[in-house]
Amino acid sequence: MADKAIAAAGPDVRARRKKEGQFTLVMKRLSKNKVAMAGLVIILLLFLAALLAPVIMPYGYEEMDMLNRFAPPSLKHLCGTDEMGRDIFSRLLYGARASLELGFLATIFSTAVGMLIGSIVGYFGGIVDTTVMRLVDILQAIPGVLLAIAISACLGSGFFNTILALSIGGIPMTVRLLRGSIMGVRKMEYLEAAQTINCSVPRLIMKHILPNSISPIIVSVTMGIGNTILMAASLSYIGLGVQPPTPEWGAMLSGARTYMRDYPHMVLFPGLAIALVVLSLNMLGDGLRDALDPKLKQ
Amino acid sequence: MTEKQNVPFLEVRDLVVHYTSEGKEIHAVNNVSLTIEKGQTLGLVGETGAGKTTIAKSILRILPEPPAHVDQGAILLEGRNLLELPAQEMQKIRGKRISMIFQDPMTALNPVMRVGEQIAEGVALHEKVSRAEAEKRAQEMLEMVGIPASRYRDYPHQFSGGMKQRVVIAMALACSPDILLADEPTTALDVTIQAQVLDIIKELQKKLNTAMIMITHDLGIVAEVCDHVAVIYAGEVVEFGNLEEIFDHPAHPYTIGLFGSLPDINSDVERLSPIAGMPPDPSNLPKGCAFSPRCPYATEECSRQKIGLDKIDGTHLCRCINRGKEE
Amino acid sequence: MWKYVVKRLLWMIPVLLGISVVIFTIMYFCPGDPAMAILGNGATPAAIEAKRIEMGLDQPYLVRLLSYLNQVFLHFDLGDSYFQNQSVLSGILYRMPYTLIIAALCMLLQIFIGTPLGITAATHQNGFADRACMIIALAGVSIPGFWLAMMLVLFFSVKLGWLPPYGVGGIQYFILPCIANAFAGIASQARQTRSSMLEVIRSDYIVTARAKGLSERDILYKHALPNALIPIITVVGNGMGMMLGGTVVIESVFSIPGIGMYTTNAINNRDYPIVMGGVLFLGAVFSLIMLLVDIIYAYVDPRIKAQYEGQQKRKRRSKNG
Repeated sequence: MADKAIAAAGPDVRARRKKEGQFTLVMKRLSKNKVAMAGLVIILLLFLAALLAPVIMPYGYEEMDMLNRFAPPSLKHLCGTDEMGRDIFSRLLYGARASLELGFLATIFSTAVGMLIGSIVGYFGGIVDTTVMRLVDILQAIPGVLLAIAISACLGSGFFNTILALSIGGIPMTVRLLRGSIMGVRKMEYLEAAQTINCSVPRLIMKHILPNSISPIIVSVTMGIGNTILMAASLSYIGLGVQPPTPEWGAMLSGARTYMRDYPHMVLFPGLAIALVVLSLNMLGDGLRDALDPKLKQ
Repeated sequence: MTEKQNVPFLEVRDLVVHYTSEGKEIHAVNNVSLTIEKGQTLGLVGETGAGKTTIAKSILRILPEPPAHVDQGAILLEGRNLLELPAQEMQKIRGKRISMIFQDPMTALNPVMRVGEQIAEGVALHEKVSRAEAEKRAQEMLEMVGIPASRYRDYPHQFSGGMKQRVVIAMALACSPDILLADEPTTALDVTIQAQVLDIIKELQKKLNTAMIMITHDLGIVAEVCDHVAVIYAGEVVEFGNLEEIFDHPAHPYTIGLFGSLPDINSDVERLSPIAGMPPDPSNLPKGCAFSPRCPYATEECSRQKIGLDKIDGTHLCRCINRGKEE
Repeated sequence: MWKYVVKRLLWMIPVLLGISVVIFTIMYFCPGDPAMAILGNGATPAAIEAKRIEMGLDQPYLVRLLSYLNQVFLHFDLGDSYFQNQSVLSGILYRMPYTLIIAALCMLLQIFIGTPLGITAATHQNGFADRACMIIALAGVSIPGFWLAMMLVLFFSVKLGWLPPYGVGGIQYFILPCIANAFAGIASQARQTRSSMLEVIRSDYIVTARAKGLSERDILYKHALPNALIPIITVVGNGMGMMLGGTVVIESVFSIPGIGMYTTNAINNRDYPIVMGGVLFLGAVFSLIMLLVDIIYAYVDPRIKAQYEGQQKRKRRSKNG
């Protein structure tokens, strides 16, 4: 009876059902992967910490204590203090906001734009494909960090400008990825089947092509956030992107450079913070990839 | 032939193999015993997933372990248990004494290696000959399966499916093996090519006096090439006999069902009668006779306990307690 | 094959043109007036205006773009630095060796350390070696290169005093920058090699090879590795892009006067001709590496190679088949 009802409700419901089934399956596989779950937990904890930073910070991130400059890590200052006596731990907590926001927003922005372009290119093929892909080739021939540096220099510092600078370099990869999977899926017979029942083109892309191309995108987004955070840190390290006094981790490292010989704790902790975020994102990304493509893992 | 006439050339004894997949145990092969003599052909017939390929791969010890695991049994080549041989000894047997033709010619060849080299590789390894000689032998093999020797340096992607399968056959026969395991060698091919490939195998088998295990779900092929037939269902031999015994006097309801689902141009039936239902879930086999849930003649007794493989007459064996009653 | 190489070389011209247009456009929209920057804050508006006209800054975008492209591609002149009394081309040629040495060394480290690590991990799947390799590789792709560089300096230069902390000179000056910059590349190479090997090891033709009686060693090196290399090569290429970008930052950590330093300093000084020249140069290097990657790709995979071979050969073959 239930089956009949679903059949009567049409392919939409059935497709949704199937997708839900796949989703739970993937989640089940993912939840068995201890490393990926550890990554997820760390990410969520960091999110929470960033969100609650104003509440849980032991000191204000701009609170100076000139009597306590360069203090080594202690119970009072978990990660020590910097050249102006500011508590590094508090600054790291608050800085998590900048790094996470930059990483997530820039990646999501570049993925969205890339997916839009990729679906158009992948679907229409022909001259549209050739033109856009040549542009993508050109954009990809410029090393990503360099492109971000140039754009960032042009747009100037500031949060949204930095997001733009970080995301443009990532667009070509998503375009390529989505175009690739659409090209692969396009030849499949179920698309012909969909066309024979008069499915419109945008509908075809939305309902049939995208859901089937989505798994590599999910993995690349997860890994991409990590890479973007690394790139954002490099950018502020050379003095572009988010500017002091915002306690961005890369900027903290840049500022600590001068004092690193005498006060290594000033460079140790911000770097560890970056590594921790990126590491947990990569752990989660690896797990997602294995869960979406189980044939690689036994 | 060995002097000891009582030792079969190749014997599979009480073989049990299972796979582990996502925590579930899949019982692929359950207590299979088979024998085959030199120069003869044994057909393994059954549905997809019945465990035929697993049996063949166990003989060569090329099952992926894990997830596969041989739980018990012996595979005796002239009385020597292959399952207990050290890895290096086994490598000397693979490709030399026992070789295999694989089901899917499209993926069975290394895409970045010249086809000739893929044949010559085995020759050089087992026959201890020079590179040049191995190459010559490989070219002969290509000619033997009907491919010009000039294509020795071509890559697999330059061949059609049928030609790839010929290469796979040439590869398997290059060292004149004593036993050939042919795993659905024609399933992936066009009908017209199927006959050609089958002819090549038969001819070469006769020429080299090779014993063969022909795995197929095509009864037409069985009738054409086999001397004996073992019908496999859910990892068990349900019926065994020579060609006449199986084709003229099928005894097990499953075998009878197989013939029922085969089109016969000589008889005037309106419809084919397929076997009702689906093969059982190999991770959860029914107690008693595995076929009983689909069997039209099943009684309560069938699902109570394991059924033995009983002798009917001659070489004919059958695993059914209701045999004879159905008629 | 040669036809393919020539075709790819010719394709580099539009790519380089494209890079020039992109970077010129970015620089065009940069805030700030180079004329004012050159003359300093004390200059009169009239003097600045005169300078602007002298530099051609008053011309519209398209005119300036075309004259830049004309200058670069038809006269092989990257222009002059605004502030340094030097042409950009000679500046780049002078600094080029440092960047190229670091890039080449990192490339070698990535290929010759990353690949074996990945193979070891794949052949010992889920064993100790696998776990160890993969933990190191995971850390490698997660640690910021410039931070690793700082940590290496703290340890090997400040604490142990073994290696110079910055500057250029003998080979010892290149050790830390190369390790710091190559670490991520080695790690991602190892990860890719492992997953690619694992996928190949499950292929049917590996079973065929095993059925032939080959030893596991032969199966690995003669059958699995050549096939696994195909996707690995692509990653090598992409890794090179990341690595070239990495040198830009690493050079600034170690005060190495290479192209990266030259370009980033120029960005801060708004010395646009240098920025454009530097980006164009690094883009050209990257394109050459990708060309090399594609050629190796075609060499390793006969299926790709076949696409680029002459029509005649294909015709002859189809007659045979």
